[in-house]
Amino acid sequence: MWAQIINALLGIWLMASPAILSSDKAAATNAYIVGPLIAAFATISWWEATRVVRLYSLPLGAWLLLAPWVLNYHNTTATLNAMLVGALVIGLSLVKGKVHTRLGGSWAGIWAKEPLHKQEAGKQPRV
Amino acid sequence: MNKGKEGIPPGWSYNPASWGQRLPIVGLALVGCGIATYLSLHQLKVFPTVWEPFFGNGSQKVLTSGVSQLLPVPDAVLGAAGYLSDAVAGAVGGRKRWKTMPWIVILFGLLVGPLGMISILLVVIQPVLYHAWCTLCLCSAAISVIMIGPAMDEMLASLQYMRRVKDARVSLWKAFWGYKSVQGKVI
Repeated sequence: MWAQIINALLGIWLMASPAILSSDKAAATNAYIVGPLIAAFATISWWEATRVVRLYSLPLGAWLLLAPWVLNYHNTTATLNAMLVGALVIGLSLVKGKVHTRLGGSWAGIWAKEPLHKQEAGKQPRV
Repeated sequence: MNKGKEGIPPGWSYNPASWGQRLPIVGLALVGCGIATYLSLHQLKVFPTVWEPFFGNGSQKVLTSGVSQLLPVPDAVLGAAGYLSDAVAGAVGGRKRWKTMPWIVILFGLLVGPLGMISILLVVIQPVLYHAWCTLCLCSAAISVIMIGPAMDEMLASLQYMRRVKDARVSLWKAFWGYKSVQGKVI
C-alpha cells in the first residue's frame, strides 16, 4: 500500500507542479490531465480488492516519459519533472504490496474454472 | 458457526457487507452530500459567496463555468443527489446482503463507480478549461474516489455468489432479487 500512497502523492504533485515550476502550456495541460488520473488510480488501489487498478497507471507513466518529446516541452524543469515522475510511477505501480485478506479468488473468481470461493462453498454444510 | 464469522462469503477472510465495512462509506457519502449541498446552494444563489481558502476566485470561476451549467440543474445538485443515493444504497440491507440482496450491492457499486469517474473528469476540466481550482470541489472529488475501492469488495462478493448460483443451475434472476426460495440452495 505504501507504494500506492506515494503514487497518489505523485499525482497530486503533478497537478500542482505547473504553478510551482512555471511550465509552458502544453506541459501544464498534460500534467492537469495525467495527475488526477494517477492520483485516482493509486487511491483506488489502496484497498486489496482493487489493488489491481494500480496497473492502470503503467500506460500513464509511460506516456509521461514520452510526453516532453511528443508535445515539445520548452521548459527543461518540466521535462525532467515529467520523466522523473513517469519513471517513479511505473516502478511503484508494479509494487503489489502485501495482501492480507482472502477474497474468494478475487475478480478472476467470477470466471475461473474452479475458483476458490466455489471450492470453499462446496466444503460448507448447506443451511 | 460463531456469530463473528457469520456472513463471511466462502473463501473470504472477512465479510465485506458487515457494518464495520459499510458504515465508513455511508459516512463519507454523507460528508460528500453535505459539501455538494453547500456548493449547490451557492450555485442556486442562496449563498452569495463560497468558502475558498487557497485559490482566490477559483471556486467562483469553476462554479459558474459553462460546464457546471450545461444541464438544466447546476452540477453540484446532481452531485448531492448522487452522494445521497450512494449513502442510501450503502445503508440498505443486512450483514449478508451480498447474498440476500445482490441487486442493491451491485447498484451500490454502479453508483459509486460512475460518480467517482465523473468527479475525476471534473478535476481534469477545471484547470484545463478554466485555469481554476475549487477547494471544496477537489475535496468532494477526493471523497468520491476514496469510496470506490471499499465499495467494490462487496460487489465482488455478490458477483462471486451469482457465479455459484449459475453453476448450481438456480435462477440468476431470482437470486439477483433475493428470493427467499433460492437462498437455501446456494451458499
